[in-house]
Order: sequence, then C-alpha cells, then structure tokens
Amino acid sequence: MIKLEERRASIQPIKSKLKISILDDEELSKINRTARDILEEVGVVFPSEKALKIFADAGAKVDFDKKLVKIPSHLVTDYLKKAPRRYTLAGRRPELDAKIGGEDGTYFFCSGEAPSIVDFETGQKRSSIKTDVANMAKIVDYFPMVSLVWPTVSAGDKGETAPIHGVEALFNNTEKHIQTESVMGEIPAKYTIEMASVIAGGRDKLRERPLYSLLLCGVAPLAQDKAGLESALAFAEAGLPVGLMSMPTMGLTAPPYQAADLAIGLAENLAGCLLLQIAYPGTPNYICILPAVINPRSGDYMYGSAFSQIASAATVQLAHSNGLPVLSSFNFGGSAYKLNDWQVGRENVYVPLLSVMAGADMSFGPSGMIEASSLLDMPRILFDQEVFQAIDIISDGIKVNDETLAFDMIRDIGPQGTFLGQRRTAEELPKLWPPSILFEKSRIAGEKYRDAEEVAREVIDWVLKNHHPAPLDEKVRQELRKIVTAADQDENLKRELKGGKHG
Amino acid sequence: MDNKELFAKMEQSIINYDKDEAVRLANMALEKGIEPVAAINEGFVKGIQAVGDLFGREEIFLPELVMGADAMTAATDILGEAIKKSGGKAKYLATGIAGTVEGDIHVIGINLVTTFLVANGFGIKFLGTNVPSSLFVDQAKELKPDLILLSALLTTTMPNQKEVIDSLKEAGIRENVKVIVGGAPVSQDWADQIGADGYGENAGAAVEVARKLMGV
Repeated sequence: MIKLEERRASIQPIKSKLKISILDDEELSKINRTARDILEEVGVVFPSEKALKIFADAGAKVDFDKKLVKIPSHLVTDYLKKAPRRYTLAGRRPELDAKIGGEDGTYFFCSGEAPSIVDFETGQKRSSIKTDVANMAKIVDYFPMVSLVWPTVSAGDKGETAPIHGVEALFNNTEKHIQTESVMGEIPAKYTIEMASVIAGGRDKLRERPLYSLLLCGVAPLAQDKAGLESALAFAEAGLPVGLMSMPTMGLTAPPYQAADLAIGLAENLAGCLLLQIAYPGTPNYICILPAVINPRSGDYMYGSAFSQIASAATVQLAHSNGLPVLSSFNFGGSAYKLNDWQVGRENVYVPLLSVMAGADMSFGPSGMIEASSLLDMPRILFDQEVFQAIDIISDGIKVNDETLAFDMIRDIGPQGTFLGQRRTAEELPKLWPPSILFEKSRIAGEKYRDAEEVAREVIDWVLKNHHPAPLDEKVRQELRKIVTAADQDENLKRELKGGKHG
Repeated sequence: MDNKELFAKMEQSIINYDKDEAVRLANMALEKGIEPVAAINEGFVKGIQAVGDLFGREEIFLPELVMGADAMTAATDILGEAIKKSGGKAKYLATGIAGTVEGDIHVIGINLVTTFLVANGFGIKFLGTNVPSSLFVDQAKELKPDLILLSALLTTTMPNQKEVIDSLKEAGIRENVKVIVGGAPVSQDWADQIGADGYGENAGAAVEVARKLMGV
C-alpha cells in the first residue's frame, strides 16, 4: 500500500471543515481578564537586565532587585496590537512556506530534541548523536505532513555546542522551515542566525523570508530564563519569528484547575510576547500553552490526560482573541507509552484532532517520539502519519453535492445492481483507501497482513537510502561548517553557556 | 503534658499536615529542655513515617505528602539548629545534599526528590537551583553527606552533572559520597557514562536507589 518514490520535499497542512469552540464568550473573556490581572498585579520574573530595562522604558512596573515585571493592562493592549496575526515561516523554496494565520489550516511541526534514540540497526536505546539529527531531518523532509522542523534528537556527541550542531544538521538535510528550542544565549543565537543568513543570502533576505525561528519556553510559574530571553531578543532583532511556550502544570506550577492553568499560561506567554513587541515591534510571535497534569502519585508528567487535551484545544481561542497565532498541542507529537500500546493511539488521536478542529495555526505532528518525547524511534513516525492521515479525512467532513450524491449512478444501476464495475467507482474508490502501513499483504501463506512495524522499518530504510534532500550549495555548506567550527572554539560562548546565565 | 504526650502530639501534627502546630511543638520542646534528637526521633519522624506509609499504600496523594514533609522540615529546621549547637546528631537513614546543577533553574523535580527522601527518613539539605559545582564540593566537604543528588532538566545543562562528579574527584572526596542523578533528559546510560552511582527516573525511584546505595 505504501508507494515509495523519490520526490522533492513538500508540505501538507490540514484544513478542518469541522469547527469546534471550547469556551463561550464569557469564559474566554474571564480567562483573558485573569491573565491581565496576573500580569498587572502578580507579575513575571525576567532575569535579564536587558529585558528589565526594555520593560521599564516602556512604562511597566519593574523591580530590578526581584527582577519582577508588572505590566499594566493598557500596555498589554497597546503592544499586542503590534504583533502580526499573519506571517510566513519560510522554507528554502516558496512552495515550502507555512502561511501562518492564512487559509491553509494547521501546519505540523516534528518535535522532540530528545536525548535518546532507538538505534535503527541494533534496536537498542542509546544517546543520540549529530548523525541521528541529520537522518531524521532527511526523513521528515520526505514526509509532507511535517511542514516545520525541529531537531527530533539532540547532537549529544557535540557537547556544549550541541544545539548549534543540531541546527547545522537540519539546514543540511531539509529544505523545510527550521525552528530551534535549544539554542539559548545571545552568542549561540547569533551563530545560528548567521548560518540562516548565509543560506538566505544576507540579513535582509533572511528578514524577508525567515527560514529559521525560535521557540522560547518559560519556566512555570511566571518566570523566564535569562539565556532564553537573550536568545529571543537576538532572533527578534534579526526579524526572525519567536514562539512563546509555557508549560503550566495543574497542581504543581499552576492551581489545580484548567481555567487557572490557561490564565497563568497565557500571562506567561503574553509577557514574553510583550517584551519582544516593545523591543522589536512587529516581531512575528505565536503562543503555546501546554496545560499539563502530574501523576499525583509519582509526580511524573502525564501525557494522556483528557483534562489537558481539552484545555489545550481551548488555547486556540485564547490566542486568537489576543490577535496571536497559536501552536496548539499537548503531547509534542509523542506519548508517554511504548510503541503499539493502545494508550499511544488514544493520546495521539485526540490532541491533534481537537487542535485541528479548533482551528490551530500550528500543532505538533508526526515526530516518532515515545516515552514522553524523550526517545526517538524513527519507524514510529509512520504510525504517527497514519493518525494524521485519519485526522485529515475526519476533519474534512463530508462533501455533499450533485456529483457526490450521484443520483445518476443510483438511477442507472438501480435495485440489486453493483457499483463496482463503474468508471467513476474505478476513479474514486482508491481515494477511499489511502496508503497505509497497516494493510500490507503478507508474503507468508495463511497470514493476512504483515506486521505494521516491519513495514514501517522498511519505509524508513528506503527513505534513508533513497531520499536525497536538495543539498545546499557547496560554498554555503562550507560556510556553515566554518561558523560551527568558530562556535566550537569561542571561549565567550562557553562562558555564556557556563556561568551566571540565569543571573 | 509529659514528654510522651508531647511526642504523640508531634507525630500527630505531621499526620495532620499542620506546619504551624509542628513549629509550635518544636519550640515548646526546646523551651522544656527536651533533647532535640529525641523530639525528632520519637515525635516527628514517627509522623512522617506514618505519612510515608499512607502514600506508599496509595491512600494519599502527592499534595498531602508534600504538606507532611513541609511540616516535618519546618520542625526539624528548628530542632536541627539546636542539635548543631549541642554537637549532637539526628538519626537519619542517611544524609544528603540536593540541588539543580549550574545553568538550570528548574526546581520542581529536585524539590519532589527532596520531599520523598525526607518523607522516607533521610536528612536532606536542599541547595536550590543553578548550583555551581564548587558549592556542591564545598558543602560535601563541610557536611560530609552520604548522598549528593543532582538534577538537570535540560540537555544543555546535563554536562554539569558530570562536572560536579569530576570536581568531587579533583577534591579527593568522590569516594566518600554516592552521587545520584536525575531529570527529564537524564537516563541510566548517561549516569553510567559520567560515573554516577545511581539514576532515579522519578522521585519514587530516587528513594529506591538511595536506599539501595545506602543499604537501608
């Protein structure tokens, strides 16, 4: 059923005909009000002198000793207006552009940056290395359902500059838009922005077509990280998009209610967004709240909570009511459980289905993640893909028109006839039977279908051997190498990563 | 109120998760001239053991365990000061220092680990987050703990767990302590690679590892 042929990278967002809204107007307004009250009365910690000054100059109440910023509501309103609702996360070719806030539906990231991988050859779990980042980039370059690319694992063999090596590996192995969530600190950020600039053909061209962006994750509750903030300011200065993520966990880093969790998460996100809009008005931002629950016995982060899944879908309305795009997801495209566990299916269907139907601009998509996104198992991305294919079909609803009502066919065939031998059936029926790893016919007598895992492995093996992402120009490639080598030898960078960065 | 009655009240204050009462009773013990070690061992420890048992039997959840450990810590902080002055020693299963390594300000995981260990009868000093390797070494020299617990939540700060272990070696005290590492990106592989003595996948596992390493 899976037809494999070499092709250039393409992207496929999902547009949902089915629409859901989780919150009514009053509920939405109450959560927004509480988020603003949090910003105004409780405040958010920004452990960066630079950030504190930006807020103080704009008229926020800043306590430099406590590094606490309280933001009056009117500032929130004024500066949020500067954040664009629509923008492009560019790929290397315009066909690979994700038009955020446009009419195309939800675009999917592959996520992760997991520290471990299931070795494709041995099946053993091991620490991930740069080659793994490159291989997985090649795989997601091949699959259209992934529009936006994170490093799915970290370049663990590269020490302190692993995130920079990870970005290099992505640039060399996919034409799609690249986002980092681990390049933290001003100096590391600038090295990677320089790489993107070399590929784009200069700073201005990069600003026009931002093929690289950052996701900044806050430290719940209501705090940011110094290195992260300074990285975000460097990205915004270069005109690159910055997403803001918060991970408020009910009962732990947020009160034990979904509404409060959303309010505190929104406040955290808006605070980050405001910093960037004050410093560099018009910076493309998006927000993402992961409303988690902990296992109240072990303290483990819970992936499969239905309370989280529905709250996560509500983030779409929250973001859009503030004029901001949203990445709505909960599970990082992964699951806390093992492959083939039915819980994986349960978790992986609800989250993206709800996000797509709620009208999210972005979500986490096929990523191959298991064990709470701490482990990459490459063939698993084929299973994810199956789920997204189903979501694509379900969210499309049913097409009702003269052609699809097919009264003419019914009249012609009449009672007790069969529709099988009809030209239109021949054309249409295969469309109702999309490619799948599930129904591969077994070569073994008496066995109906082959093991889907085995089929998935074959697909990955084929992609790794046969797919060749459009390479960067050799000169550009060499230039990237030089930049990474310089980063590796930069003592200032090491100092920034090492000491006092949360000061 | 005789001592026995007071000890029973101390035990009960922890079982009731009543921090104010625990603090009041700890101060009362000092005023009455009761041996602080006795107040801990015959009073408060029994309370936290009862709470730990309830948690172990899944009769209570984490919030209660945290409240119990908070009450316990508040009382033992007061009594611990007095013990220090008198040169005595409280009876713990083992002692330790715990913190999140340099460059990392995530506090929740290591807080839970500390809580679990306290609730299980360990004496743990919490050093906070963004703790430089040198502070772990200095504290290890000063307090001579049995355990050092190192948390890292980021792949970028994990290497600092190794740095602490290396610094302990350089200071010549690596053999005196057992080092347990943990945090979301940390694995048994990583623990082996950097020469840690143990790895805890979550707070419960950290207690098991600590017990095993200490033989208690």
